[in-house]
Amino acid sequence: MFLALKELRHSKTRFLMIAIIFVLISWLVFILSGLGNGLSTLAASTFKTMKADYVVFEQGSKASMSKSLLSNDLSAKLAKMPNVSAVSPMGTIMASAIKGSSKLNEDKVDIAIIGIDPGSFLEPAIIEGSGLTSDQVTKVIVNETMKDEGFKLGDTFQLDGSTESLTIVGFVKNQTYNHVAAVFTPMEEWRKLAFAAPGSDKGVKDPVNAIMLQGKDIDRSTINKQLSGTDTVTRAAAVQGMPGYKEENGTIMMMLAFLLAISAFIIGVFFYVFTMQKSNQFGIMKAIGAKNGFLGKAVVSQVFVLSLSSIIVGILLTYGTAAIMPKGMPFMLDTKLVFTYSIVLLVISLLSSLVSVRTISKIDPLKALGRVE
Amino acid sequence: MTEGLQITAASKYYNEGMNRIAALDRVSFKVEPGEFVAVVGPSGSGKSTFLSIAGALLKASEGKVRLNGKDISELSGKQLSDIRLHEIGFIMQASNLVPYLNVLDQLLVVKRMSGKVRAADKAMAIKLLEELGLGTKLKNYPEELSGGEKQRTAIARALINDPNVILADEPTASLDTKRAHEVVSLIAHEVRTRHKAAIMVTHDDRLLTYCDKVYRMEDGKLSLAELESIH
Ligand SMILES: Nc1ncnc2c1ncn2[C@@H]1O[C@H](COP(=O)(O)OP(=O)(O)OP(=O)(O)O)[C@@H](O)[C@H]1O
Ligand SMILES: [Mg+2]
Repeated sequence: MFLALKELRHSKTRFLMIAIIFVLISWLVFILSGLGNGLSTLAASTFKTMKADYVVFEQGSKASMSKSLLSNDLSAKLAKMPNVSAVSPMGTIMASAIKGSSKLNEDKVDIAIIGIDPGSFLEPAIIEGSGLTSDQVTKVIVNETMKDEGFKLGDTFQLDGSTESLTIVGFVKNQTYNHVAAVFTPMEEWRKLAFAAPGSDKGVKDPVNAIMLQGKDIDRSTINKQLSGTDTVTRAAAVQGMPGYKEENGTIMMMLAFLLAISAFIIGVFFYVFTMQKSNQFGIMKAIGAKNGFLGKAVVSQVFVLSLSSIIVGILLTYGTAAIMPKGMPFMLDTKLVFTYSIVLLVISLLSSLVSVRTISKIDPLKALGRVE
Repeated sequence: MTEGLQITAASKYYNEGMNRIAALDRVSFKVEPGEFVAVVGPSGSGKSTFLSIAGALLKASEGKVRLNGKDISELSGKQLSDIRLHEIGFIMQASNLVPYLNVLDQLLVVKRMSGKVRAADKAMAIKLLEELGLGTKLKNYPEELSGGEKQRTAIARALINDPNVILADEPTASLDTKRAHEVVSLIAHEVRTRHKAAIMVTHDDRLLTYCDKVYRMEDGKLSLAELESIH
């Protein structure tokens, strides 16, 4: 630490430049991770926050709601399976809500209609208004972001291309599906909307898209075997099955991976070049008795101090950016994620400094005696 | 137990293509505490090689090096580091100070290499620097020092761990005549009052008056020269 700090203080500009680069990189890493988190929340928060552990799909539907069609008759059989503590059906369709009686395109709002059984474990907590009821099937609860679009409690809206209209009786929080606001309706109303065209239910009795299960350590293969035509997956797998989810996440992860690799390279090369420039100095110190460990520690602690302070500045900048970002941006910082990426960045820069440590250990102390090579 | 530094029949060979050249050819040599000896000789004759072997920086191809009676020819790299840190003080050519450390820290970093710096170490470093006339320069960086002040700092650094042997490779190479005399007389003074065994390689014959003995190196062979014959 002694040498490291003395040198940091003495060559401020040199270290400031690399610190700025590292600040920018860590800033970008945190912003990207926030965007990735925001996007995946938008894509599937309803699924992610759902109190279900497993999802039963139709066989061959690739864990995708839109491709799956089952009969609710299965619910009773599923409830009897070992370790299953609760069962509830669910259905989804995409739709547009029309604000008032407007005919303008701007006044259509994309929504995801999610059919559930009122009062089941799938019904999210209400933050304003009241919940779903089985006897009034057009009364719905919607995500609070619809307020930003001008919808209020008690509003009735029409659905584009349908004669049905729904009335908002309650608001819920963090419920988005397929990047748009979720609108929860009772199962019965959902069926009316989803299978408006005659025969579109393929003659399935009480059709649903999927059946959610609660229960620890449910044996998926037993269910698959006993109930033919079904495919049970974990909730995490169902999230992966959301259209575009994997691709979207994959893109962000790839960018993050590249950024991390670039930062490792930049830090590594900077300190390597720096070490090479100072090889004469290191030679002198070795000649007067410094061990490799002493000099190696100096470089590693220098990298540590530099990356740690850069990361902290990067975090501050990220939270600053988050504060001034427009509301509609799918940007969501997660403290746990920020912490994880900070550690990853720190470890990566420390690892890349090991190249310099190796270089130091190879420097010949004889250099110090002004030998002409 | 013999004190000081003793080298017996040490040789150092380098392979240059097909040929094997002897940079050092069966050199035997001895320097005792309180003795200040000089090594002179033409360029490429093997003076630096000799000093490197004496200073545990280079292993001899053959022969023995004894420091205070202890054979250091078979020690590991780490042990040699320790020997250099505690038993040997190096004074090298100019500009071998660490650029980002002030005069006092140049000495304290040596203490750091072997652990913590205690208040007593700091007091001792300051006392040493004051003795060498650097009392007002404690907080100065090397770039703010004159050539002579830099070399005096290097002398203080060589003495801080109270080593038995002082080795100087052309310590006056970058100094003018007046400063060179100051620096060498200072080394001579410290060597005698502190009872160190010291070897200095030099090109400057006028500085030999400060030394007790003068050796001449020629083609890797070391021989005692008569002081009178040089003057
Ligand atoms: N690493 C090496 N590989 C091969 N030959 C070497 C090596 N180091 C030194 N030599 C050779 O050993 C001989 C002695 O070199 P040394 O540096 O000891 O000379 P010197 O007396 O200190 O010269 P100068 O007065 O110029 O400093 C030279 O011929 C040199 O070329
Ligand atoms: Mg030389």
